[in-house]
Amino acid sequence: MTAAAARLLRTDWFGLLVAFGCGALALAISHPSFLSTFNIYVMLTAFALSVLVALSQMVIVAIGQLNLSVGAIGGLAAIAFAGSMEVWGAPVPLAIATGLAVGLGCGALNGAVTHYTGLNAFVVTLATLAIFKGVNIGITEAQPFYDIPQSVKTFGNARLGFVPPILFISLAFVLAVLVFMRRSVLGRQLLAVGGNRNAAALSGVSIGRVVIAAHVISGALAATAGMIAVARLQLGQPTIGDDWLIISFAAPVIGGAVLAGGHVSISGTVLGVAIITLINNALVLLNVDPFAVQLLLGALILLAVALSRFRDPA
Amino acid sequence: MTTDATARRRGGAAGPGFSALASNEAGLLLITVLFALLFANLTPGFSSPFNVYALTRVLAIDAVIGFSMMVVLVTGGLNLAAGAIGVCAVMVGGWAMQVAGLGVLPSALIAVAFGAALGATNGLLTVAMRVHSFVVTLATMSLFFGAMIIATGAEAFNALPAAFTGLAKLRTVFFVSSMIYASMVVGVLLWLLFRHTLIGRQILAAGANPAAARLSGVPVERTIVVCHSLSGGLAAFAGLMLAARNGAALPSMAGQLGMDWLLPAFLAPVLGGTLLTGGSLSVLGTFLGAAMVTVISNGLLQLRVGEFWVQAFLGLILLAAVVLDRLRAHLIERRRA
Repeated sequence: MTAAAARLLRTDWFGLLVAFGCGALALAISHPSFLSTFNIYVMLTAFALSVLVALSQMVIVAIGQLNLSVGAIGGLAAIAFAGSMEVWGAPVPLAIATGLAVGLGCGALNGAVTHYTGLNAFVVTLATLAIFKGVNIGITEAQPFYDIPQSVKTFGNARLGFVPPILFISLAFVLAVLVFMRRSVLGRQLLAVGGNRNAAALSGVSIGRVVIAAHVISGALAATAGMIAVARLQLGQPTIGDDWLIISFAAPVIGGAVLAGGHVSISGTVLGVAIITLINNALVLLNVDPFAVQLLLGALILLAVALSRFRDPA
Repeated sequence: MTTDATARRRGGAAGPGFSALASNEAGLLLITVLFALLFANLTPGFSSPFNVYALTRVLAIDAVIGFSMMVVLVTGGLNLAAGAIGVCAVMVGGWAMQVAGLGVLPSALIAVAFGAALGATNGLLTVAMRVHSFVVTLATMSLFFGAMIIATGAEAFNALPAAFTGLAKLRTVFFVSSMIYASMVVGVLLWLLFRHTLIGRQILAAGANPAAARLSGVPVERTIVVCHSLSGGLAAFAGLMLAARNGAALPSMAGQLGMDWLLPAFLAPVLGGTLLTGGSLSVLGTFLGAAMVTVISNGLLQLRVGEFWVQAFLGLILLAAVVLDRLRAHLIERRRA
């Protein structure tokens, strides 16, 4: 029994689940409106978007790199999606394909440049952040696309009880990433490269293929998040993605990811997003200054890093 | 001109004359001058007195923002929180001037000291947690910025004394803004620090090879804390110049979480030849890097290429610069082999 308990304590997700459970319980008791259908719907909507952003970063953290351009890719895909419908009158499936292609292309560019030049992904994605964001602003001249088809708007605002339909898209992606990282050869190779690049190369892993694949997946996840944001906001806002940076890192780090690579936890990342969503909601219910969430997120990242140091003193 | 841990690594056999011409700084200067001549020929607006004044004012600020990142890059770290620290320090300075009624100089000193203290916090956390400064400064940029917004209620201090805002309005010979001299003085002080002081040499040694430096008795942890507080102080100084230019201390002057400063902060030192891996920096290069970026973005604006496209151009320049630098290092290695 104690051995089982000790094993639970050592997992990435158990402590987070307890923290989430305690927080939710405390809120449910102190604020009955927390459990109202509408409030749960609001939280799940926020969760659906954030979890894609977090996974987009997590895939890159797995190979031991960083992607500062997650938000910029999301924003560019969002305006490509909205713009192709408004300007060219493209049908929705074609617009989705355009947005996704933008995400895949941006990711492939990030991956190819980091791999073939051997440059630090930080500086590469800082440059591409400016390029993607710059192209976004250049095309839109900072004006949103308002003319979104009714079907997209309806989907973004639909409610099945307390469940937003966009949640199913996010859950499908979570499941896909889970299967990919756990079961597929490429997914295992991702972690191998992040853990020890040289050892992976010597074992016959094609580093270039893995690095580019990770960035392409990251781009696709960011693009999907961007398009979901369009459906939710009901307009193609050029500022979509501007505030994703902190949350994209906070969730994987809280979830126990090692920024040096080689270890990520999908369940931990998902719970990290759930905890951040809960904190956001708590601040609203408690009428706290909404900017306090930035302060709390910063503190939470530091706490998570300090805890992982305590758990695993290197 | 490049200040290196090992005295003269880039001199080589080609002789001092050739290496001076082939140096990064000379190249930057040449490109900047060529662009300036090109723009001056293409559009009369570029060399107009007002534009020279506006351009040098932007350059003065961007150079100090670049210095603020450079002094952390030399340790092999980085400071994502530079913009957030700059804004926080300016709000403290604005409060001191407008609400507490202190003089301009004491207020500025308080602001710079506050910035240095925030930077020192980054340094201490980095050392204590033994993690890369990326994750620490990512967390503190959110922390500092969030705290600042709550403390100020997102309200600006826009009744700053004329003695302060007047500092940004002075024009000197050829309509050059007086602020450029302030950033030059900062640059010279930094050059002296890294060239001629013990702590400066220790920082370079620790940045180049922390393990070897530690074995040679260099207090590596102390150099990291010193660099981060220096970075915070410089960010505060850049923030003060920006506030003087704007005529107000604005919480939004560096964008969401201070992220608008990230691109200029990295562009100037990276173009100037400061290595991201640490141990080598160039103060003059950073200044010239900022000059090149300022001239190109100002010229593009004057040409009305589309003010919305400037950011995309700057991103392309950064990408091209790092790729070319990589290529150059590759060629040098090949020639040696």
